[in-house]
Amino acid sequence: MDLTRLPNDKKLQLCRWYFKVGCLFLPFVWAVNAVWFFKEAFMKPPYDEQKQIKKYVMMSGVGALAWGVALAAWVAVFQLQRVSWGEAGDSLSFIVPLGRA
Amino acid sequence: MKMYQLGVLSFFCFIALSQSERLHEQIYSSIEGGAACFRRLNGTHQAGCSSTDKGAVGPVLMIKEINDALWLTQNGTAGPYIAVVSTALFHDIIEEFMNNPTNVAGILVYEDAYQITSAFTHDSKCPNEYSSGPGSTCSSSEPEGFVWNEKGTDLMRRDIPFPMFFLPESRIEEIKKIEECYQRYNLDRNAHSGKPLCSVQLHSFMFAAVDTVVCLRRSASSAILTPTKVCDPLGDQNVYYPLFSRAKENKEAKRPVILVTARIDTASLFDGISPGAASSVVGMVTLLNTAEVLRSMIPMSKTYGTNVIFTLLNGEAFDYIGSQKVAYDISRGAWPPIMPLSPTDIPLHIELGQIGGALLSHRDEESWPLYAFTPNLSNNVDKVSEFVNALSSDLKQYNMSLVMTATDNIPPSSLHSFRRILKNVTESGSLTEILIADHNAQFTNMFYNSALDDYTKIGFDYHNITVGSDGIFLQNDEILAKGIMNATEIQVKISRLATSLARTLYKKITDEEYTGANQASAHLVDEMMYCFLRSQMCRLLLAADYGNSGGTENLPQKPTPLYVGVSAYSLTAPVFAGHMLALFTGMHFPELNRTTCDRIDKSEFSYLYLKGWNNTGVCIQTTMNFSQAISPAFVERDYDYASGFYSTWTESVWQTMWARVFVAASGNGALAAFIAGAVATAIAAFLTFWIQRNAQRIFINAPTGSLVSTDATTGILRTVNC
Repeated sequence: MDLTRLPNDKKLQLCRWYFKVGCLFLPFVWAVNAVWFFKEAFMKPPYDEQKQIKKYVMMSGVGALAWGVALAAWVAVFQLQRVSWGEAGDSLSFIVPLGRA
Repeated sequence: MKMYQLGVLSFFCFIALSQSERLHEQIYSSIEGGAACFRRLNGTHQAGCSSTDKGAVGPVLMIKEINDALWLTQNGTAGPYIAVVSTALFHDIIEEFMNNPTNVAGILVYEDAYQITSAFTHDSKCPNEYSSGPGSTCSSSEPEGFVWNEKGTDLMRRDIPFPMFFLPESRIEEIKKIEECYQRYNLDRNAHSGKPLCSVQLHSFMFAAVDTVVCLRRSASSAILTPTKVCDPLGDQNVYYPLFSRAKENKEAKRPVILVTARIDTASLFDGISPGAASSVVGMVTLLNTAEVLRSMIPMSKTYGTNVIFTLLNGEAFDYIGSQKVAYDISRGAWPPIMPLSPTDIPLHIELGQIGGALLSHRDEESWPLYAFTPNLSNNVDKVSEFVNALSSDLKQYNMSLVMTATDNIPPSSLHSFRRILKNVTESGSLTEILIADHNAQFTNMFYNSALDDYTKIGFDYHNITVGSDGIFLQNDEILAKGIMNATEIQVKISRLATSLARTLYKKITDEEYTGANQASAHLVDEMMYCFLRSQMCRLLLAADYGNSGGTENLPQKPTPLYVGVSAYSLTAPVFAGHMLALFTGMHFPELNRTTCDRIDKSEFSYLYLKGWNNTGVCIQTTMNFSQAISPAFVERDYDYASGFYSTWTESVWQTMWARVFVAASGNGALAAFIAGAVATAIAAFLTFWIQRNAQRIFINAPTGSLVSTDATTGILRTVNC
């Protein structure tokens, strides 16, 4: 969708909608929202709805980043500690490796 | 396209495909007939070998002397290498490889008849050390300590960091093939790097890892993508044969039972090669013959106050699986399933332990030095010495000796299981235990539980004497008088030991000396040994096979495999031994056909329909039966696998095992190809860029500017996006 051809109130509506959908544990939607509306929020000449869009873009961005950090930390911890967790590590694994701990 | 064009095209496709097939064959030469070392696990460790899932690859290095092994681990430049070594040299170099495994990709061990292997045993110096009974002093960890199996490398219980394959003597041409390739490409050791080298790939990837707890957990878990079983508990079947049927005995006053045991199984580091001549077969054959001759000595019409249960235990090589199960079941009142024994019902337990190791060194004389070990207890010295003296004096007439040793340091045998699990009765002395072995302070068998413990190690020569359709075997007197065998041969010695033991047991049962002439037959021993050690395609197994099975031509002409295997699959060894017992001790009803035989239902006997001596089928009434040989660890609920009380051995699952030899390129070619590819890509990219830039100069009517910036394209993109 081409944002430049959209009226400003629709832009705000769309940005808010993406933010709300992202609240359903969908950080990737937040990330899309943040990238997609970045120009609208920070680089376009000011207009009425821009402040709100800015807010949603910030929140989406921070939320996506927090999710990213948390996921990366979990992946790192899981990969490094799975073996030492023993039974719990195996139960958390989707594919149990063959021939090694 | 025209028809002939199609034809030409498919012809070229066919050529291309068949060429690639042949190309593969031209590159790789498969090494056939090898046996791979595989992984077993216990409650706390993994043991044995595994390759990676792609197989271990390395240039070949023929190890001809110890220095070659040192060069490999310290100076080898093109490593890691695949070491090709004969069994004769294996014991000298393996510790070097185990200690410095970084430059070792794998080992190919081959048996070479022209080199004498003085020892080859991969069990512990103290076999089943951690399942030993009280008073055992054998310790494999103390460097100068007392040990039974001095040459033991313990490889079967250690985690080996590289794969290993074994090639038996019959596959020596494979080694010649590798040697030829080695001579051609790898001989100049100092110029190895950067050259094409003769290489071997060993593939034996094991699914299980860590220990029994982990692999059983992973086998049981129902993961969505990988419902794979990664390991199975070891186990099979025990065979037991009560001399008299016990089903109709008075539950309150059961007859005391003398337990006579021997082990069926042996083991080796390598899959499928476990002959076990001196480790287990001689003991088992002695027991089978003792049962046969005792049955012929005792008139079945009378009833006596004592019974005998002959028992063949399975899985003894792996922390006494069979005897632990029997002792455990006796302690719970569950063995045998019909009329179970209580521990106090057994006054005497005699184990025919590891006998056969001294046979080869005594092959030129009639003597055979035997030893009786018994736990050091003051209150049953009389009982033990009475039995040992009786057996010893009977053996003396055959120039064989039996020396008694009263010690708590008992050699590896099922006695350890009874002494741990039935502690009350063994310590009070109500259960007297005697182990008969042909070694004293150390094993005489230098090939204990190994792939080389075959018939040559006990000096067995098969005589191939005809057996009539009545199943009558030549008696020893006749065999010796006619000079068919002489008295120094192992068949004669084993039959004499069986006869003496049967006479001694006869006296225990009847309280009278045996005065008859029945003897165990060296002819029967000859046949039995042949079935177990040389070929399953033998007279006895033809007669002892199930009557309803198809032709017995499908029995392999190989020794009977005696490794216990996994409990999920029943192997042939206990079935063979059980059927032999039934055939020789059971009542024959040749007039009954199969359906009638199968239909008889008497609680005190079981009925087997076997082929019989004239191959027409015979119904046999027998007291022989099978009982489960699986460690109590897998039976008991919530057993703590790390506690080490019961055997916890499992065997890893694997998919394929193979080995192949080929000449590996040095890697320069691959590097050149990569560089050429990268350069070509760069040139093509630059060319494309340049042509696009100058399109208007090259092409007439070329469109201006970028491809995607036209109005039409934007329109398409827009529709797709919205």
